[in-house]
Amino acid sequence: MILRVTVYLIMAFLLVPLALIVLFSFNESPSFTFPITGYSIRWYAQIFSDPQLASALWKSFWIATLTAIITFILGAAASLAWLRLGRNGRTVLEVLCITPIALPGLFLGVSLLVLASQVGVQLSMITIVISHVVLALPMLMIAMRARLVLFDPNLEEASRDLGASQVLTFRRVTLPLIAPTLISCAVLSFALSFDEFVVTAFVSGTETTLPMYIWSMMRRTVTPLINAISTLAMVFTIAIISIALAIAAMKRATNLSSRNAA
Amino acid sequence: MVSSQKTGSFLAAPAVTYMVIFFVAPSLLLFSYSFWTASSFRIVPDFVLTNYLSSMKSLLFLKVTLNALFIGLVTATISVLLSLPIAYYLTYVTRSKVIFYLILVTWFSSYLVRIYAWRTLLGTNGLLNVALLQLGIIATPVEAFLFSPFAVGITLVHIYLPFAILMVISAMSEIKKELIEASRDLGTSPLGAFVRVVAPNAAQGLIGAFMLTFILAASDYVTPQMVGGSSGQTTGLLIADQFRKTGNWPLGAAQAFIMFALSILVYVIITALARASGLTRPRKSILRQEK
Repeated sequence: MILRVTVYLIMAFLLVPLALIVLFSFNESPSFTFPITGYSIRWYAQIFSDPQLASALWKSFWIATLTAIITFILGAAASLAWLRLGRNGRTVLEVLCITPIALPGLFLGVSLLVLASQVGVQLSMITIVISHVVLALPMLMIAMRARLVLFDPNLEEASRDLGASQVLTFRRVTLPLIAPTLISCAVLSFALSFDEFVVTAFVSGTETTLPMYIWSMMRRTVTPLINAISTLAMVFTIAIISIALAIAAMKRATNLSSRNAA
Repeated sequence: MVSSQKTGSFLAAPAVTYMVIFFVAPSLLLFSYSFWTASSFRIVPDFVLTNYLSSMKSLLFLKVTLNALFIGLVTATISVLLSLPIAYYLTYVTRSKVIFYLILVTWFSSYLVRIYAWRTLLGTNGLLNVALLQLGIIATPVEAFLFSPFAVGITLVHIYLPFAILMVISAMSEIKKELIEASRDLGTSPLGAFVRVVAPNAAQGLIGAFMLTFILAASDYVTPQMVGGSSGQTTGLLIADQFRKTGNWPLGAAQAFIMFALSILVYVIITALARASGLTRPRKSILRQEK
């Protein structure tokens, strides 16, 4: 009982500030105090009349899409590699692809900035995508590793022994086992990129992504317009997470049904 | 087997190449930058220790670094402590996925939005002040809520708690449920089961969760700057400013590596403390779930 109350209190601490952001995005007056005198959607209307904001949103969307695609391709190949490599190969792969998670964004951001300036590359949306993949790939690899250690290599061998071609084995055995986690992680890397600020601040040059735009607004003033943008961003994130979890759950369902069929 | 290893290397190549170019190379470059010199907006390859020495001799640097370490330690301690009941509840008590889902949502919901939320909550016209005024607990708005170490702490805990919870869950999920049930059947209280069974077995994972939260919080330069006011000066901000404003990149690089070395030092101390207190002992794998 005490445990449950503690859990609910902590969850309230996490959720109430976010709920208040949403609540005040519908406040008619630009103040942040109770009681709320009237509700309106004027701040939302304002979002859609701001061309700078629309452009920032659009840029963030494309950056996140590219990040998710590249992370997916690199991660898929690396996961398949992990299954085939020996102990040493796996260690190399893990050290390179997982370590960045233990480094602060600040460190990754300035080191990529230094690289870009040394090589003479202009900071652009491309450098932003590159940096986001460096952040997203480790997240994907950690989740994949937890899946892959459960993978039984005998399954592939058995399929080959039973006469399935390499392509068929891949399609019917390997892929169904790793695809759901891979796809849900790729979806999560979209969410990660869409919201990324710390690293982006160093490698974006003159490009303004959505978080960069929110940041410049936040520094200037406190307005319910920021609440409205934040609320939309949150709704978007919730949708993304739901998709990712639904894909991950689908895997469990198919695994179960194939087990029952066997 | 050999051909499968060859395919493996071939498939690993893109990710490995990517990380070598965009993670290893820039880190090494940053490290060599820390020995270079900057003069009149030009960065000259060199090999001097001036950047390190002048940082360590600077009182300001020492002050903000201690502040950053303090912020990191406090945030990580509170976050891990608060994670324990939630992770325990999610791993062993409930089967509902709702709380887990909400935690994921908060972790992925915008970093800046959460800082902004606390700014509006703690400000002089913020909700906290207004509520306290209306309840008659205070007569005039308290300005000290925002731009204080308290504001930095509560915001950072709010930001990094979901992450800590996810890490602690993954540490706990490696411990068999039966072990806890057995100890409960033998008459141990829930707290006792936690202290005697969960904590020792999850210690390594808990240290990992603590360290990662510490690193994230100690290097966070945005939150302290936005809600901490004059108490928000941290090494992270100093480093960020070297790369954005003043333009002494080699000095910033050296300070980044000092921070990096200090993080490792903290890890070594925490691990040694855990071992000295008997929390981490090499325990055998029977206690863990069979893979």
